[in-house]
Amino acid sequence: MSGNGGGAIAATGVGDGEPRRRPVAGSGGTVLSAQGLGRSYDGYIALGSFTVAVEAGEFVALIGPNGAGKTTFLNLVAGLLDPTAGRVEVAGEVPGSLAARTALSFLPDTPVFYEDLSVVEHLEYVAALHGVEDASARIDELIRRLGLDGWEDALGAELSKGMRQKVSIALALVRPFRVLLADEPLDGLDPPSREVLFAMLAETKAAGAAVVVSTHRPDVIAAADRCVAIRDGRLAYDGAPDASVLTEIFDRSELEG
Amino acid sequence: MDQPVGTVLAAADPVAAMKAMRRARRRRYVQRADVMEVLYRVYLGGLAAIFILAFLAGALREVPADPGSVESIRAHAPAVIGLAVGLLVLAGLRAGARGGPLAIEAAEVRYTLLAPVSRRAALRPAALAQLRIAVFAGAIFGAVVGNFVFRRFPGTAVEWIGSLAAFGAVVPIAVLGAALVACGRRLHIGVASAIGVLLVAWSALDLALGWTSAPTTMLGDLATLPLHHGLDAALAAAGAALALVALGVGLLGIGGLRLEAARRRAELVAEMRFSASVQDLRTVILLRRQLASELPRRRPWLRLRLRGPAANPIWRRDWQSYLRWPLVRIVRVVLIAVAAGGLAVGGFDLTPVLFALPGPLLFVAALDLIEPLAQESDHPTRRLLLPQTAAVLIRRHLWAPIATMAVVVAISAVTAAIASGNPGLALGVGAVVVLPLAAVLVCAAAVSATNDPYEFALNPQLSQVAGLGPIVATMIAGFVPLFFAWKIEGANGARVSGVLGADFVLLILAIAGVGVLNLRFDKREKEAM
Repeated sequence: MSGNGGGAIAATGVGDGEPRRRPVAGSGGTVLSAQGLGRSYDGYIALGSFTVAVEAGEFVALIGPNGAGKTTFLNLVAGLLDPTAGRVEVAGEVPGSLAARTALSFLPDTPVFYEDLSVVEHLEYVAALHGVEDASARIDELIRRLGLDGWEDALGAELSKGMRQKVSIALALVRPFRVLLADEPLDGLDPPSREVLFAMLAETKAAGAAVVVSTHRPDVIAAADRCVAIRDGRLAYDGAPDASVLTEIFDRSELEG
Repeated sequence: MDQPVGTVLAAADPVAAMKAMRRARRRRYVQRADVMEVLYRVYLGGLAAIFILAFLAGALREVPADPGSVESIRAHAPAVIGLAVGLLVLAGLRAGARGGPLAIEAAEVRYTLLAPVSRRAALRPAALAQLRIAVFAGAIFGAVVGNFVFRRFPGTAVEWIGSLAAFGAVVPIAVLGAALVACGRRLHIGVASAIGVLLVAWSALDLALGWTSAPTTMLGDLATLPLHHGLDAALAAAGAALALVALGVGLLGIGGLRLEAARRRAELVAEMRFSASVQDLRTVILLRRQLASELPRRRPWLRLRLRGPAANPIWRRDWQSYLRWPLVRIVRVVLIAVAAGGLAVGGFDLTPVLFALPGPLLFVAALDLIEPLAQESDHPTRRLLLPQTAAVLIRRHLWAPIATMAVVVAISAVTAAIASGNPGLALGVGAVVVLPLAAVLVCAAAVSATNDPYEFALNPQLSQVAGLGPIVATMIAGFVPLFFAWKIEGANGARVSGVLGADFVLLILAIAGVGVLNLRFDKREKEAM
């Protein structure tokens, strides 16, 4: 589905096999669209006929229990997986194209680093790959805000889980993008760092980028403009974050992880 | 103190940034390398190579081949070699269709391949680095074989060493080129396999008809170039050119690589490298199977209905494992057996240096055969719950692999009988050594697969000996009977009976293997109690 003027059409609910629909506020300009997107492995359906559109400036919370298909969806959009059905576009291009890679930034659930590059060298490299002007200032700012001061010269193997996550966040944000995909970005962060990340995501959204965050956390869901729920690889809900509808679909324990 | 990578920020464009970063990483790697350690390893390796080559040159005392053998080699060797190259290209195509042959760092996939830079430019250096290593190793191996072959056949040392070094260099180019084409063009595994099988069939047709029409047979001409003139030499050049074209096409299309496959390979290959570095062969095998998506069949080829002594649960369990082998594993083991037989014939016809290869090759097949035994070793808790000692359990797990390995060795003997034109000698030697050789191979594989890589963590040299010992044992086990048969003068009967002496060596190796397994599992059981 795509945006139509003032508000994207959204789907909500589950029960009769068809997702429920509710109107949500949108800001126009579809930057991510999936049509009948599916991925299966030897008969096992990880994601089945998933249709969704995300507008520029939208903050979308992607929710669902473990194994529902959230990470599969994000990997398909990032071009790290190939779909077995349907199609997906980022900024009007197929994932993996130069335009899509320019438009999309991906923050995966598991940080990976070059074993022989320091934190600041990673940031410099990613900034240079994306042609960031005045990268030093941007890098300094990210290091300061994410509390990475003093860790600039550390190698990946020397970082704790939380610090690795912060570096991964910095690497996703150091470059320009139109769509940010983040898979469980708050995992491993302490409360002050979570606040910083929330602020950064809000700034990203205010700057006109779409933000899609896979999460189990009620605070992220509450902060989102829109909630897309997946269950058993299928779209179960797409609409405004509405606690009453969500609790109809999921157990409370599934949402809070 | 490390030099900062820093300069990437000053790079003019993303590709320049990527190159600057890689240069800086290489510099850093060199700075961190322990030069004395590297020189020491090169010194030891060189010394060992010189010793082995000098020993072989002295021991073999090769005599010129008779005119009949020379003519036979001239007529048939290119097609036989071409068939072998065809099989390697088939393996390359299949590996490419699964996302190989490149193994890229996970971070490279995550940052560089997801950035708006040319993936061809990003991946080419990795492909060329892999190619450099393979070409260098192939050329060295070819030159070593050439150094022995020239003593038996018409042609100078320079001609033979040069042609076999060139052949050794071109084969990896053809195989990697095919793999890169399959990977970059995203060939379906079925399509890649079909292309490879067609190439193998074409090579087989050349062998049957005595033609040189398949590109792989042309490469066979290159390997035997000093025996050919005129058109054959031109065909050899054409074969090499075609291999280079395949490589060129592969490099041009490498940007089409599937990130999904690249990411999966990145994770598995990183684990494989670590396992290989600590000589953990068992983990390497399991990871390789994952990499090739080689899973047991859901339905066995046959349902076992065993009665009486044959219904022994361990014997039965081993056969149940074999009956669930995927087709690709069966084909691989049969091809290994055929290749081992071919190498044995090559040893008689070309140079006995090739006798060193069938043993390690059959060892690879044995590693598949001892899978049920290896699983007992993988799960010590389950093993401890059984009402028999670990050593007895492991020993009983040896019977089914030895029986099956005997069939594999028999296939090698039959292949040698067909290929050599002297079936009496090949089948006679095969019959004499089949069981003891199968026992050595299975015991060596069992010792290797159940090796604890951290058992001698405080003594790396001992750990390396423990890792390499089984492979050396299989090399000796394959070499000794063939060398005896080659060395003994006289009629086939004398040669076959002479090989009986080799059985003594094989039995000692097998008993040593069983002894190591007994000691190892007794010790582990005591430690667990």
